[in-house]
Amino acid sequence: MDGDAVWYEAAFVVGITNALNVVADALTDARDLGVEIAGGDDTQVPADVSATFAEIRAFYARADVPAAFRVIAGEPGYLADVWGAARRAFSDNTLSRRLKESLAFAVSVTTRSKFGTAFHLAEMRRLGVTDRGIVEVLGVTQMFSSYTKIADTLQLEPDMGDIAPADPSAPPA
Amino acid sequence: MPTVRLRKASEYSAAAQKLFELSKSWFNFDFTEPPAMSRVMAWDPHFGGPHGRAMKRAMAPGEFTRGEKEMVAAVVSGVNACNY
Repeated sequence: MDGDAVWYEAAFVVGITNALNVVADALTDARDLGVEIAGGDDTQVPADVSATFAEIRAFYARADVPAAFRVIAGEPGYLADVWGAARRAFSDNTLSRRLKESLAFAVSVTTRSKFGTAFHLAEMRRLGVTDRGIVEVLGVTQMFSSYTKIADTLQLEPDMGDIAPADPSAPPA
Repeated sequence: MPTVRLRKASEYSAAAQKLFELSKSWFNFDFTEPPAMSRVMAWDPHFGGPHGRAMKRAMAPGEFTRGEKEMVAAVVSGVNACNY
């Protein structure tokens, strides 16, 4: 876990997770209120959307397309780019896909995302994380949801930056 | 600026000094003064003790490594917008 690459990857996972969650949750809530915005049948779609949906189904090894992608399918180019970023963020790289899904689960629990919590929990299990591992992630999430609020309440200033040395390496070519 | 005066380690009781030693060992780093959070937790060892033990249990290697758990902790802190 040395070097900055892992932190860039983690940050990209956090960002795209939150992006997918806010839209999926908002539109699910809207649907519950009787407002249908987008995201119905994922089989009756234009060819360009169908190609992206096929990639998504393959990546997640599931028959349906997660709501987070269905709801933006009305603009095929936008869907393809969001999907491209999400696929890159969640692919095995310096960090494993298993850990990335676990980070996304922790983010989703922390932000109270119903879509994200259910989706990334299912992905963790699919990738081999057991109930014990899930509780491990929940435990860390819970403890640091305590520490962060204690720190914020007392307005503590960062004082642990010296623990890890700066990474002198250049960005990837 | 903190809303409380963070006491120096030398101002704390013997029981709290033990928590500081555990903190130093946990981070494997020789702090000039214990981190602010350690000094906050040492204010009430009856809270800081079990809270710290729960944290150590949560962070102990299991199905996920300590490093992986530190990363989970970092993203949770990030989405909580915690500057500390």
